[in-house]
Amino acid sequence: MFKLPNLNIGKISLLVAIMTWLSLLFVDITRLFGTVNQMESGIAPEISYILQVLFFIMVYLFYNYSINNSEKSNFLDLIWRGASTGIVATSVSIFISIFYYLLGDSRLASDPILRNFFYHVDFAFITLFLVSCTLLWKHLILYQRTKRVVNQWQGFEIGLLISMFFVFFNQNTLDYSFLFGLSVLIIFGAALSVNLKWIPYLTFKEKWKSILFLVIIQISSAYLFVQVLSYSGSITPYLNLTDNLFLLSLFGFVFIYSIFSFLVTLFNLPTSSVFEQKLVEAINFQRLSQSIKPGENENQVLDILMDSCMSAAYVDAAWLELKDTEGNKNIIHQRFINNKERKIVQEIIQDTKPFSDFTWEINTNDNKTYVGKLQDFKYKSAMVIPLVVNKDTVGRIFLLKEVKDGFNKEMTNIISTFVGQACISVENYRLLNEAIKNERYKEELQIAQRVQRSLLPSMLHKDSTFQIHGFSEAADEVGGDYYETQALGDNQFAIIIGDVSGKGTSAAFNMSQMKGVFHSLVQLNPSPRDFLIKANAALSHCLEKNHFITTSYFVLNTKTKTFKYSRAGHCPTLFFNAEKNNSEYLSIDGMGLGIVRNKLYEKYVQEKEVGYSIGDILILFTDGIVEAKNDQNEEFGYERLKKTVNKYKDLNADQLQQKIIEELYDYIGKSTLPDDDYSLLVIKFIQ
Amino acid sequence: MLKIETTKESNHVTLHLIGEVDASNSVELDESIIALMESGEKNILVDGTELQYISSAGLGVFMSYIEDFQEKNISLVIYGLNERVYQVFRILGLDQLIIIKSNKEDALQEI
Repeated sequence: MFKLPNLNIGKISLLVAIMTWLSLLFVDITRLFGTVNQMESGIAPEISYILQVLFFIMVYLFYNYSINNSEKSNFLDLIWRGASTGIVATSVSIFISIFYYLLGDSRLASDPILRNFFYHVDFAFITLFLVSCTLLWKHLILYQRTKRVVNQWQGFEIGLLISMFFVFFNQNTLDYSFLFGLSVLIIFGAALSVNLKWIPYLTFKEKWKSILFLVIIQISSAYLFVQVLSYSGSITPYLNLTDNLFLLSLFGFVFIYSIFSFLVTLFNLPTSSVFEQKLVEAINFQRLSQSIKPGENENQVLDILMDSCMSAAYVDAAWLELKDTEGNKNIIHQRFINNKERKIVQEIIQDTKPFSDFTWEINTNDNKTYVGKLQDFKYKSAMVIPLVVNKDTVGRIFLLKEVKDGFNKEMTNIISTFVGQACISVENYRLLNEAIKNERYKEELQIAQRVQRSLLPSMLHKDSTFQIHGFSEAADEVGGDYYETQALGDNQFAIIIGDVSGKGTSAAFNMSQMKGVFHSLVQLNPSPRDFLIKANAALSHCLEKNHFITTSYFVLNTKTKTFKYSRAGHCPTLFFNAEKNNSEYLSIDGMGLGIVRNKLYEKYVQEKEVGYSIGDILILFTDGIVEAKNDQNEEFGYERLKKTVNKYKDLNADQLQQKIIEELYDYIGKSTLPDDDYSLLVIKFIQ
Repeated sequence: MLKIETTKESNHVTLHLIGEVDASNSVELDESIIALMESGEKNILVDGTELQYISSAGLGVFMSYIEDFQEKNISLVIYGLNERVYQVFRILGLDQLIIIKSNKEDALQEI
C-alpha cells in the first residue's frame, strides 16, 4: 500500500512561508529595480499578490497548527504568546524607524530598495502578529463552544479567505467595495467577540496579568496600524502590500476582541473572588463526598470539612468537638484560637440562646444549625453545627466571627451541605469498617468450627459384635456436644457422651477440655464411677463457676456381654431389650460434673452393670434431642424417642440413627431452626 | 422470654420467674440473685409455677450460688416447678443440692 509520509505541517508551512516571503521580496525588489532604472521588468503585480496570498495562508496554517498543538497550555500562556509577538513586531517596526531617524538625510536613507526591504520586513511581522492573535482569539472564542459559535467562526474564516483574494479586484485601493468588505468583516468579528466564556475561569491574579497582556496587544496593534497608515501615505513607488483587506480586517478584529476582553476582564475583577470561592466550594464538596478508603482516617475528612466551612463563611476562629465511644468530648482541629480563649468562648456559647437549645441525646439533630450573637469582647457571632452520623450526634463544629451577624443564609446553607456530606462520608467509612470486621469474625468462627468438628471422632472403635454410629449437629457455628470411644484392650470399649452447659463458643471451649480429660483418664482404664469422680476433680479446676458438664460413661465388655455405666447429670440412656421387645431408660442417680467441686461429689455418683444380648440397642443422646420443640412449643420428649426406637429396632445402627433424626426433623418442622445441639450415638449388638 | 418479679414479704423474698430461662437471659436471673444476696436477704423463695423451661445456662446460675448460700447461711427454696422443669433439675442432680418443693406452703416450712 502506498503510504503518506508523516508530514509535519508546522515545519513545512513555516518553511514555505519563509520561502514565499523571500520570493515576494525578490519579485518586488526586482520590479522596483526595474522601475527605478526605467526598465520594464515585465513582472506583473499579480505575481506579488499570489505570493502574498500564499504567504498569508502559510502563516495561518503555521499558527493554527502550533496553537492546536499547545492545547494544554492555559489562557494566560496563550495571551502572552500574542502579546510577545506584538512586542517583537512593534520593536522591529520601532527599530526600523530609529534606524531611519539615525540615517537622517543621508543617501542611504532615501534608497528605495532598502526602504522596500524594510517595508517587507514590517509587513511580515505585522502579518505574523495579526494572524497569531487571530488564531489565539479563535481558541478563546471557541472555549466551551456551541455549534452556533463554531459555524459563525467558520463563516468568518471563509470571509477572511475571500478577503485575501480581494486584492485582485481592486489592487489595494480604498474604494467603496473595499470599505464595504472591511465593514462586513469587522462587524462579523465584533459579533464573534462577545464570546468571552474563558474570563471567569481566571483567578484574580491571572486576570490582572491578562489585562496587562491585552493592553500590550492593543498598543502593539494600534502602533502597527498607525505605521501601516503612514506607509500607505508614502507608498507610491512600490507595490502596496499592507492596505490589504485581509490585514485591515484582522487589525479590526484583533483590536476589537482585545478591547472587549480587556473591559470584561476589568469589570470581572471585583466578582472574581466570589467565583473563585464557589469553585473552591465545589472542589471541597467533591473531596468531602469521596468516601474514605479503609485504613485511612476519618480525621482527614473532618479536616477538609473544617477548612471548607471556614473558607465558606470567612470564619475567624473555629474548632471541632468530637464525642468518643465513652461519651467523652475531645477537641480536635482547633483553628486560630488557643485553649484558654476557646474555653471561655465555649462557656459563653453554652449559656447563650439558641446554642443552649442543643442536646446530644435527641436523634433529630440532623440538618440543624445554630446561628446567633455572642456577648464576647472579640467574637460577635457564632455558628454551631452538630455532626450526625447514623442518627447519633457524634460531635459539633463551632465557627466564630468577629463581626456581628457574620453568617448569612448562603453561608449557613453551604456549611450545612458540607457537614451533611462529610457525615455521610464518615458514616460510609464506619459501615465499611464494621463490615470488614464482621467478615473477619465470620472467618474466625469458621476456623473455630473446623477445629471443633475435628474434635468429634471421625471413626468410632468397635469390633465385629456390635455396630456403632454417631451423629452431631450444632445450633450455632460451634457447639458443646461431645461423644467419643476408646478401645481398652481386648473386648473392652469405653464410650462417652457429654453436653457442656451454655451454648456457642464458651461451650465449645469447655467441650475441648472434656475431650482432654477423657483421653487422659481413659488411659488408666477406670471404672465408670471412678472416671466421673476423677473427671469432676479435674474439671472443677477448669470450668467457670456457673458452668458444668453432663456426661454418661460406658465400659462395654463384648466377651462377657455386659456393660458398666455411670451417669453425671446427663439425660438417661435408652436401652432396647430385644427379648422383651421394649426399650427403657436406664435409671441411675448421678450429678453433673462441676456442680459439687469437692470430695463430697463421690456421694452423688453411682455405677451399675447390665448384661445384654444379641439385638439389644443402646441409644446415647444429648438433651437437645428430647427438648427439641415443634411450632406448638411441645417437646419431642422421651416417650416419642422410645417409640421411634421400638418402631425401627430391626434396622442397622446407621439406618436407625438416620430414622431417629428424620423423625425428629419431621416433628419440629422445617420452619423452626434448631436452638440446641443434637447428638446421638446408636450402638447395636449383633453377635 | 423471661420476666422476673421480686416480692418482699415479712420473713422472706420471693423471686417469681415467668417464662423461659435460656442462655440469652440467664444473666438477668443471675443479676436478681446477686441483688438479693447483696441486700442481705436470708430467705429466698423461687416461685417456679410459671417457669416454662430452663436451659443448662439457667441451671448454671442456681448451681453457681450453692456454695455461697451455704457460706452466708442463706436458704433458697424452689417451689411449684412443673414436671418437665423439675425433671431437668433432677436429671442433673440439683434436686439433691437445692431444696425443691411442690408448693409454697411446703417451701415456707423450710425457712
